[in-house]
Amino acid sequence: MHINTEFMAETFLASLGGIPVTLEITLVTLLISVPPAFFMALARQRRKGIGSRLASAYVSFIRGTPVVLQILFLYSLLPSLLNYLFTQVMSLQVNVFKWNTILYAFIVFSLNTTAVLSEVFRSALSTVEHGQMEGALSVGLSRRQAYARIILPQALVSALPNICNATVNLLKSTSLAFMMTVQDITAIAKVRAAYGYNYIEAYLVVLVVYILLCTVVQLLFKAVERYLSSYKKLIAA
Amino acid sequence: MLEVRNVHKSFGDNEILKGVDLKVEKGDIIVILGPSGSGKTTLLRCINFLERAEKGTMDFDDIHTEFKTASRHQINAIRKRTGFVFQNYNLFANKTALQNVTEGLTVARKVPKQEADARAKEALDRVGLSDRYDYYPSQLSGGQQQRVGIARAIAVNPEVILFDEPTSALDPELVGEVLNVMKALARDGATMIVVTHEMGFAQDVASRVVFMSEGTVVEQGAPKEIFRAPKDPRTAQFLRRILRDDYEYSI
Repeated sequence: MHINTEFMAETFLASLGGIPVTLEITLVTLLISVPPAFFMALARQRRKGIGSRLASAYVSFIRGTPVVLQILFLYSLLPSLLNYLFTQVMSLQVNVFKWNTILYAFIVFSLNTTAVLSEVFRSALSTVEHGQMEGALSVGLSRRQAYARIILPQALVSALPNICNATVNLLKSTSLAFMMTVQDITAIAKVRAAYGYNYIEAYLVVLVVYILLCTVVQLLFKAVERYLSSYKKLIAA
Repeated sequence: MLEVRNVHKSFGDNEILKGVDLKVEKGDIIVILGPSGSGKTTLLRCINFLERAEKGTMDFDDIHTEFKTASRHQINAIRKRTGFVFQNYNLFANKTALQNVTEGLTVARKVPKQEADARAKEALDRVGLSDRYDYYPSQLSGGQQQRVGIARAIAVNPEVILFDEPTSALDPELVGEVLNVMKALARDGATMIVVTHEMGFAQDVASRVVFMSEGTVVEQGAPKEIFRAPKDPRTAQFLRRILRDDYEYSI
């Protein structure tokens, strides 16, 4: 087997151009997902009520379906649905078919990540003893203040490894965005490979790029974790 | 100053409080005694709305409220004028000793940071922790943590401090330092309601001892009367058992 190293070098450089897109999908998805995931986690912590049941149903639905299927489904359904909504129902002059397909990537990955993160947050919240809330209430803090100042900072520390996990998984699954014609790392490499059937080389390159990216993400999370958990590490010598 | 009447509280089918009345005047040191399961802790938690009683009324100075219908506003007003010391300290794990004490001042009462720091340091000095301002709870012994808990409760100048078995989670050799702090507070004229099993503290410090059993107040009076001549057989039996344990057991 002949490995075309020149092609690999060129593809490596070209696929670096896809990194911003990959990171953009990852970051935007996280930003969209965190607030609803947090409120779903709070709802599920109460264990009763309609909110808790809806959140729980949503999580099992998302968990129970492959991401690929969600992409295929939404990518074929959503544009025509939105088109109908805008032009027929709201009579707006909008052409959804001209929208950047990255918007659909945001939607699909956000739906997914919201479910994943809500479980991450739920388990993290349950690691903070109920006594912390009672202590906060007893000194006159409101529930909201107690969450913001006492509960969440502690929950965040125990959530970080799982948030890191979810972020890395998300970053990797953004490679499926090529199915929606988004020009991310994977898509760029695949297109280049198709010219001369250099698939093996292209995939090797993509593999290395993702390893590099994920390593950076993990190092960042490690640093944040070390910073935020400083109150735990300081056990008296 | 503080009066609760006819407090009822159940957990499921289990009726813990069956109509409790308690009256506290300024400067009173009320010690609530009773066997476990008698509802002492639940009563204390109901007063601070950590549990919601189903029935009963409360008068706290000018605040009159029904436990069942108390508004968030009323609950917050009552909490801001009381201090609560927990059995398990419940210190904020992510805050230093000093921050534990200032939190209720700066956040809940909008005291400027500098003044809050000064008041917090004063409170920590009073409980003998002048050298532990910047320590996290995980770096402190149980006794020190509980003293931070007391500092946190007194720093807000509460009208009454509620103590929920403050020494029960402590190693025996650490009980003394916490009780000494509480005795000093009592000498300084604090109003306190204390749930405890420390009979010595009850005898020496209490202005009134309240004996509870099975969700009701069985009898109350000066410590001398209760300890020397309990009127109710349940009180007598409890005291016999506790005092015998105190003196005869040594493992």
